[in-house]
Amino acid sequence: MRWADAQETVFACRILSARSRCAYRRLGSFGGAECATGACRRLHGAAFKGCDRCARESTRVHTGLDRDLLGQLLARALRRGGDYADVFFEHRTAQSFRLQDGRIHEAGLAVVRGVGIRVIAGERAGYAHSDDLSPAALRRAADVASLIAHSAASGEPVVDLSARVAPHLYQPAAEAAPAGRFVDLLSRADVAARAFDPRIAAVNAYVSDETQFVQIATSTGELVTDLRPLVTLGVQTVARSDGRRANGYFADGGRTALSIYDAKTPESIATEAARIAVTNVDARETPAGEMTVVVGAGGGGVLLHEAVGHGLESDFNRQGTSLYSGRVGERVASDLVTIFDDGNLAGERGSVAVDDEGTPGAHKVLVENGILRGYMQDRLNAKLMGVQSTGSGRRQSFRVMPQPRMCNTYMPSGTSTFEEIIASVDRGIYATSFAGGQVEISKGDFVFMVAEGYLIEGGKITAPVRGATLIGNGPDAMTKVVAVGNDGRLANRSYTCGKGGQMVPVGVGMPTVKLASCTVGGSSVGTGNER
Amino acid sequence: MQLNETANADARDEALALAAFAVAAAVDGGATAAEATLAINDRFGAEARGGELTKLEQSRGRSLSMRTFVGKRRASLSTTDLTHDGIRALAKRIVAAAAFVSEDPHAGLPDTVTPAQEDAALEMLSPDVAAREPEAKIDDVIELERLIRQADARIDNSRGSHAGDTQATVALVNSLGFRGAYRMTSASRSTSPIARDGDDLRIGSYGSAARGYAGLESVADVARQAAKRALDLCGARRPGTLRVPVIFERDVAAAVLSDLFNAVNAANIAVGNSYLTDAIGETVGSAHVTIVDDGRLPGGLGTSPFDAEGTPTRMTTVFERGVLKSFLYDTYYARRLGAQTTGNASGGGIGVNNFYLYSGDHTLDELIAATSRGVLVYDTIGFATEHASGTYSRGARGVWIENGEIAYPVDGFTIASNFKAMLAGIDMVANDVRFDSGIVSPSFRVTEMTISGD
Repeated sequence: MRWADAQETVFACRILSARSRCAYRRLGSFGGAECATGACRRLHGAAFKGCDRCARESTRVHTGLDRDLLGQLLARALRRGGDYADVFFEHRTAQSFRLQDGRIHEAGLAVVRGVGIRVIAGERAGYAHSDDLSPAALRRAADVASLIAHSAASGEPVVDLSARVAPHLYQPAAEAAPAGRFVDLLSRADVAARAFDPRIAAVNAYVSDETQFVQIATSTGELVTDLRPLVTLGVQTVARSDGRRANGYFADGGRTALSIYDAKTPESIATEAARIAVTNVDARETPAGEMTVVVGAGGGGVLLHEAVGHGLESDFNRQGTSLYSGRVGERVASDLVTIFDDGNLAGERGSVAVDDEGTPGAHKVLVENGILRGYMQDRLNAKLMGVQSTGSGRRQSFRVMPQPRMCNTYMPSGTSTFEEIIASVDRGIYATSFAGGQVEISKGDFVFMVAEGYLIEGGKITAPVRGATLIGNGPDAMTKVVAVGNDGRLANRSYTCGKGGQMVPVGVGMPTVKLASCTVGGSSVGTGNER
Repeated sequence: MQLNETANADARDEALALAAFAVAAAVDGGATAAEATLAINDRFGAEARGGELTKLEQSRGRSLSMRTFVGKRRASLSTTDLTHDGIRALAKRIVAAAAFVSEDPHAGLPDTVTPAQEDAALEMLSPDVAAREPEAKIDDVIELERLIRQADARIDNSRGSHAGDTQATVALVNSLGFRGAYRMTSASRSTSPIARDGDDLRIGSYGSAARGYAGLESVADVARQAAKRALDLCGARRPGTLRVPVIFERDVAAAVLSDLFNAVNAANIAVGNSYLTDAIGETVGSAHVTIVDDGRLPGGLGTSPFDAEGTPTRMTTVFERGVLKSFLYDTYYARRLGAQTTGNASGGGIGVNNFYLYSGDHTLDELIAATSRGVLVYDTIGFATEHASGTYSRGARGVWIENGEIAYPVDGFTIASNFKAMLAGIDMVANDVRFDSGIVSPSFRVTEMTISGD
């Protein structure tokens, strides 16, 4: 254990394309569509609508906790005092298959099941979790969580829970996909990647199908259930040419069933991964220095997530540790910049019908024409700041407390055409997609790792470049947005955000955006516009 | 809420029994071989901000991870549902999934079973973790908050001070007859003060981790170092764009080593996803580059008696005076690449034990004094090293060096090169290593990298 693992690291956020095995493991997304909605469907013979009966069925199938027990646990958690308590039950099943060297390498199954109990007393929070679901073990967890409060005991409060089901937002599969379906997707991806170009020397592919059932009970009387699907198909390729090597990675999926790959074919995903590897194997070194940067539509949204999004999470702002603290109503970007965060986009990775505190997901205006409009709130910070939660309380699993997090963060279209934007650049970099980014919240410095980039010379896209890193400062970069394209779209669904050691799936999106200047961290000096 | 020795012994028995049950369930379900790891972690965590305790967490977490084989087909399982019915049902399900996996001649458990032995000389257990009262740990985080604010008037806020510890039990059982368990402890304390620098907020972060409280740097030292890091960066400016020597301070040097680990991970070698793929026996670094992975370093945070497959851990020389000597293997990739396992199986893949660069004979101050113009890097930001090509690029902050002395703080720039040039360019290594992680390094200097700033 490195000490930084135990706390919020200096660079509190990183977002990455879900590429490495360990990222998947942290995600716990080893797939596995199970049953609850399937059971409901069989009962009703109709599409899942989220009725009460379904909720009861879900609870039963997933062995969610009994309502009386939940009420007792909440009362017990508050018996030393405290303002609020909640119980979070999770049962996540994920099935996955992995391909390597043209063979199905491994099958995987991951189950995360347990309960987290939290007590909030002012700014203080006590927490305990248990994978043992026996009432005795859960009562012990409630007792440990209650230790944070120390006001005079006034007896156990009575908590009267009334059940509801999260709004209908995503369409899980009716039943678990057969293993043959996974194998077929992977094999087709492998064939397509190899067929793309003879320089493709290696292909790894991964497909996972996950279902997460959550049940949230609060001392304010809420009892909510939700069933969240999540599928991912990722392809990693290595291209070789004249002794040089380069990677290409691409993935897509979302909060839906494997049937999404009927339209979004494994061939299209694999071909994109292969194309990026082949482009990069012939790419030249990136020039270093300050220059104009055009950020590509879709995946360029990582820019918003890092440069602005994290700085608008309410924990940092309540504590006064974000550079955006206390700046609602002020100008923080050029008037071309509008940024939304939305938990309600059908099928997107970052969508949540209810967040992990039971609050419905929402559409939030973060920045409007350059003016800061609001923060993303979870319950603890919202209460302390005297506002309502925006449905942004998310957590990696039952083992950790929720934090204010982004869902799907994007910028709507502007008016420029892509061609106009490129033609307006005399010398610069066109970054079509990012492998990831990272930000330091307090000063606002960020970096982005360019996955695919090109030189722009004389208003034309010329040669591919590799290994480029963009570095800048959030508010500074946002004032340098001088053109916004009319081609806004969401990125492929492959992003995972890490904060305080917790990984959650997110979405990003953006039109093509031109930054008047940005520092490009290449390794080649003298070919850029060095000063 | 502390565990005593009896509770620890109970955890060991519980872990071994559950692991054995899981192996039996897999075999009953049709597996021809199986291996189960059961981990039980008792964790404590406290956070303070200002004078107040803000978070208190305490839990026992248990998890099972299992690899099963049906002939030469493999399937893996991880679960926190540890009921007997749950384990049985899931074992059956993965055995069924294995039928869809391709046969792989190299798949399977290790060839031999070496009986597990607990070894006190590994110094994995520190009794002070169980003995220290929660109240004392809470006092520590409140004291950290007080000391960082006392250090300088510019520090009036923080991202919190943290203390935490873990008492862990790991049991491993396989169907060839391996049966072993070990216990370990760890403790950490850290703080992240924020200094006001005009309109800017400068965060510094520093912490210490060890097997127990006795091995930690003191509360006062952690607070002082963290405050120094925040204050050192006040008034930072951007450097130009040029090529100069770069000194990596020990924590960032360790981050460079963790990239290097990916390049010697046999799983990446097997698929050509490393610039070192064909480089065994070649000189790929300067004579200062001697890097080992030692699974038996006394008190090391990556130390254990056996790896995730039950292979006894050992010392592996990965680079010796710049020559690439060995990759790091588990059983599968060793078979596939015609080598022997190095005892680096970890969580279904390959991981480090204690992976570190040998110390040099200079102090960090001597590295600075020997640099006429360059940069000392305290922190890097970013993480995407292209392992296939070895391209390296990071955002960075630190201090500028002129004429062998620290001149002023710098931030908002990148450092870039490629790994081959960086390894070949390591020309001075300091003697300031601390073993606070599975990957550590002393500070070192690289002769030349590209700085990209204004």
